[in-house]
Amino acid sequence: MAEGINGFSSPRADVFPAGLRVLVVDDDPTWLKILEKMLKKCSYEVTTCGLAIEALDLLRERKDGFDIVISDVNMPDMDGFKLLEHVGLEMDLPVIMMSVDGETSRVMRGVQHGACDYLLKPIRMKELRNIWQHVYRKKIHEVRDTESHEGLEEILMMRNISEQSDDGYLFCGGDMTPGKKRKDAEHNYNDKDFLDHSSIKKARVVWTVDLHQKFVKAVNHIGFEKVGPKKILDLMNVPWLTRENVASHLQKYRLYLTRLQKDDLKSTDSTKMQQNEANSRIHEVDLKGTTTTSLQTIESKKILTGYAAKGGGGGGGHHKASSSNSNIGISNSFGSTQYPRFNSTVPSDQYSWNTGFTEFQFKQEQHNQQFHVENGFTNLGLPTTLQQQNQVNSINNLMPRFQPPDPWTLKDDTSINNLELSSILLQSQSQQQHSSSTINLDMQKKSGVPDFNDPEVSPSLYDALRFDYDYPPDSLEYPVIDQGLFII
Amino acid sequence: MLGFGAVRLRTDMNRLLSLLFHQGVLDEQFLQLQHLQDQTSPNFVSDVVTIYFQESEKQLRNLRNLLLDREIWDYVKLGIHLNQLMGSSSSIGAKRMRNICAVFRAAVEQSNRPACIRALEVLEHEYCYLKNKLHELFQMEQQSVLGDAVRYPGVVHQL
Repeated sequence: MAEGINGFSSPRADVFPAGLRVLVVDDDPTWLKILEKMLKKCSYEVTTCGLAIEALDLLRERKDGFDIVISDVNMPDMDGFKLLEHVGLEMDLPVIMMSVDGETSRVMRGVQHGACDYLLKPIRMKELRNIWQHVYRKKIHEVRDTESHEGLEEILMMRNISEQSDDGYLFCGGDMTPGKKRKDAEHNYNDKDFLDHSSIKKARVVWTVDLHQKFVKAVNHIGFEKVGPKKILDLMNVPWLTRENVASHLQKYRLYLTRLQKDDLKSTDSTKMQQNEANSRIHEVDLKGTTTTSLQTIESKKILTGYAAKGGGGGGGHHKASSSNSNIGISNSFGSTQYPRFNSTVPSDQYSWNTGFTEFQFKQEQHNQQFHVENGFTNLGLPTTLQQQNQVNSINNLMPRFQPPDPWTLKDDTSINNLELSSILLQSQSQQQHSSSTINLDMQKKSGVPDFNDPEVSPSLYDALRFDYDYPPDSLEYPVIDQGLFII
Repeated sequence: MLGFGAVRLRTDMNRLLSLLFHQGVLDEQFLQLQHLQDQTSPNFVSDVVTIYFQESEKQLRNLRNLLLDREIWDYVKLGIHLNQLMGSSSSIGAKRMRNICAVFRAAVEQSNRPACIRALEVLEHEYCYLKNKLHELFQMEQQSVLGDAVRYPGVVHQL
């Protein structure tokens, strides 16, 4: 179902954001059609795709063929979050997630996996008009990373363009002002510079499976404790790779490992065994990078295996955490402490300290049945849903447990009556979620231990209320899919 | 004459639409779809709705299969299909469908079997109603276009 221009199409810097190349991935053909139409109206170049695997193939085929990816969270062949991670890792494109479900925990997961935005269906035109900001933001951050003069001029050029457009609408509207000719002349001049500089600027490194394998081998050879980009680079023996490439990849890798650990703790089924399993699995994955059966079992226990992805400017991957996290719509405490255990400069002894700590917290959890605000430890995710329910109940009575609807057992209503009931039920549900989410944030601010709590509370609390979302579709009939990080 | 017929058709269409809005069957998203329709895709709304009908009927069949004539229910699959149906319904602005899906989903979470069966019945009933009304709407639209074409052959009217 993919359409597009023959072969590569390159971005047109002079009329940005028009001509933005968007890949839309959604298993729902209705939405595909609607989104395609909406994006075309924004003067974007649209390619649609019904399957996640297809999308990945497309992206791999046409490296640099797309500027941004929009994907639904619930896909039949692959979890949307996994796709997100793959895209962030391999192609380093900004990815926007969409879903009909706007539950905070899901949104948070999206952000954690590196989504630069999370849209709720039904999606409005105005939301789509602004997606170019993610592409722009990423460009700026990349430029900052390379720390070169050429980058500075690039930013200036982009700023020129943005000054020409009113909120980006000028180009989207398709109407060019009479002053266009003059502006074009200016832009042509800048264009030339841009092209020159882009050739000087380092090409984006794509970390293929082989490359990553080499990287991991090198890391393991040196020993995770003593690893450094220079050493890895030497060991890898890849001539065109630079120290900076390796450094940023190392950062991502570390974050990915942390995230795996955190997810180990969060899973609700078993306890320490699972954690140990996951820990050993991490090393397995590193060494082989291919399927192992334990990988599959982990998948079924809802732990992500994706790599740490770079969202558009988001994620703790880049050094200036505060600036890059401003686009995460959560409070600052979330953003800057999303990966509290990791800075880019942290030596690996902190890494081991962290694992020790979380184990300790974990033990604490099993004793604590009640939710105490003062005791910051209990903010960590609990292993069982039962404990979570207790937590929920003890927090406050604003959130009555969802009552099994009595009216269902009543007589034959007309559909209208049932609907009124259903809308009442719905309202109370959404109120619950809303109030609990605000309470969550408040409590976390109060708690004296800011570091470890934030990303974990909301997901686990909502797990109690919404059982179905934790079930990963991919563990059902598609065990073959989860073949490790890269091999799909 | 013909002129009156066209006007009446248009009025009827508007009346039907506002009725559907009033009943909560459709919401603002449907209007968005209408705005998207233009010269390049003159049948956009009906195309999208046709796709929606196909998808929904598939999902409803799936749901029915999962629920009936079975001792043990696969709640997970139920949830998945419900999500898909919910997403589709939100795409065309089928508000009531979407709401019923949400309630159905809650019943699934509760593992409340009678509630699930009830919800499915309501859902199917609601779907039939929606489909009939939308068909009516499109028929009226067709007729008014045809009527215009007869009156002013060669002129294409956009609605």
